[in-house]
Amino acid sequence: MPENKSESKQTTVQHMAYEPYTVAMGPQHPATHGVLKLDLELDGETILECKPTVGFLHRGVEKLAENISYAQCLPLTDRLDYIAAMANNVAYSVAVETLLGIEVPLRAKYIRTMVMEMARLTGHLLWLATHALDIGAMTVFLYCFRERENLLDMFEEICGARLTTSYTCIGGVRQDVTGHFLESLHAFTDEFPSRIAEYETLIDKNRIWLQRTQGVGVVSAEDAVSLGLTGPTLRGSGVDYDVRKHMPYDAYPYVEFEVPIGSKGDVYDRYRCRMEEMHQSNSIIRQCIEALPPGPIRAEDAPDLVMPYGPQKVVEADATFSSGIIKLVEDRKRFIKGDVYVAAEVPKGELGFYFVSDGRGVPYRMHIRSPSYIHIGALPFLCKGQMVADVIAIIGSVDVVLGECDR
Amino acid sequence: MKIQYDTKKSLVERIFLLEIVKGLGLTLRRLFSKSVTIQYPKERKELFPGFRGKHALIRDPKTGTARCVACMRCASVCPARCISIRFTTDEKTGGRKLESYEIDALRCIFCGYCEEVCPVNAVVLTEDYEYSDYEREPFHFDMEALLNNWDKFVEKNKIDPERYLNPFLRPRGLALGELPAGKRMDVPEEWTLEGQVVWKDGKAVSAREAAAE
Ligand code: SF4
Ligand code: SF4
Repeated sequence: MPENKSESKQTTVQHMAYEPYTVAMGPQHPATHGVLKLDLELDGETILECKPTVGFLHRGVEKLAENISYAQCLPLTDRLDYIAAMANNVAYSVAVETLLGIEVPLRAKYIRTMVMEMARLTGHLLWLATHALDIGAMTVFLYCFRERENLLDMFEEICGARLTTSYTCIGGVRQDVTGHFLESLHAFTDEFPSRIAEYETLIDKNRIWLQRTQGVGVVSAEDAVSLGLTGPTLRGSGVDYDVRKHMPYDAYPYVEFEVPIGSKGDVYDRYRCRMEEMHQSNSIIRQCIEALPPGPIRAEDAPDLVMPYGPQKVVEADATFSSGIIKLVEDRKRFIKGDVYVAAEVPKGELGFYFVSDGRGVPYRMHIRSPSYIHIGALPFLCKGQMVADVIAIIGSVDVVLGECDR
Repeated sequence: MKIQYDTKKSLVERIFLLEIVKGLGLTLRRLFSKSVTIQYPKERKELFPGFRGKHALIRDPKTGTARCVACMRCASVCPARCISIRFTTDEKTGGRKLESYEIDALRCIFCGYCEEVCPVNAVVLTEDYEYSDYEREPFHFDMEALLNNWDKFVEKNKIDPERYLNPFLRPRGLALGELPAGKRMDVPEEWTLEGQVVWKDGKAVSAREAAAE
């Protein structure tokens, strides 16, 4: 159509100076926290549109899970949010236990709550470290890693790995805690609040930090809910929603803690929420240590799921009763049919597992509702109209990890 | 709980740039505190027992070879499917004889399930993590290589193979009745179900002591 063509040509000529141009940020960009690609359409320095591209780290975790048993799926969850693998382990185990109706012993519940809060600290410390580094505060990065290292050492002591922990098992935990672990963790919680104060000294009232974070990436409470944000990213906007409080699992009903809520919904409020959450986690860990009851660490009624030692057997007489031989057959009654969605509060937000079970002992379908994926979906909204430099601050403040997003 | 904060600075703070002074003061304090960094190749971190490192087949001091009875539990539980075992079955007794045992360490995800599930403590993940190489071939461990790994591990760390303990060989906090005979080793008291630790009066004590008081 020749007329149209000439028309469009004319507009181009008229707005030559304002023609938006596109910049590809990532997938190899140090501040995108992994392999996230953002196509930014810019007008000068203002962002007209931001299009995230995900999937560079896709490993097919959901599909892999369809071929291996529930117990074997557990190490896969380490590789979702590799920053706080312990929290994923707990979330996964809680979901499978709900599906199969297994009651976990009290000691295991307390241990799990304890390690989950430790994972929250490792997650938040790494978040603070990289977020501050992105905005330009190098020292905070080093101090955060010092404490994170202590926590990772404690993970190593109880489960033999620092990052890919695989610590829980379905129906409990794989290893009991040791006295040395409890003592070093208790000593850590004594000291940690003063360490948080150190980070705050460096950035709390720092004028560069305030200018980079206050009033940036504002999201109102309604928008935050409709975008599906969860975790501290949602609570920074003033919405009181925390899975630990509203749908408690493990030992959370027995411990006391507060859920910090922000009001303005900007990057600074989200930062504040997470800092306060670290104080709360610290106090939960202390309560768990002090209230840790003695008792078994694995549920008895978890046939075929308790690692190790093979499936539990039930005695079945020979059908004809002639040979007098009794047989031991595997008890697979527990694998009920049905589906379940169970969520847990991981450092990033609400991590949910949706299982469809057809009674075979392997998930027919496992869907992971990963907070990072949904938070990346909110980036176009958050970035619109902001400056290019603020994209970094916004990505940092919604706290995404690409292993979990792409899974 | 609504978080409260006040980012307003007082006049003094604004004029004298107090936050810079505070920040530098912290850095200065840390400059003279004890360093937390480990200078890796010169110093090495002390690992905790049960660190999941290089695979090995424990060489049984009595027979001089692996204890494996070819029960196939490790191969079937391995999520990465990196263990392959071949065995022959004796027609008369039904006993199994191990022919070959291979672990592809490049596929392994170091979950520790194999060592936890083994009823006779034949396979183990040793506390050795320094085994990089330029080629793939050295990471394909066959039975000889796995037994060698054990010998080297024993030699390097000067451990007594009879006394070697690892929380995955005898998981902490399990009742003795739950364990197969091969896993019922002598362990420190806090590893047993009866001696498990609880917190009392500012220190970790065994549950038995706490109950006795
Ligand atoms: S550690 Fe896990 S992945 Fe590696 S060989 Fe053992 S069971 Fe397989
Ligand atoms: S579980 Fe142990 S005994 Fe059984 S095949 Fe594996 S290494 Fe051998």
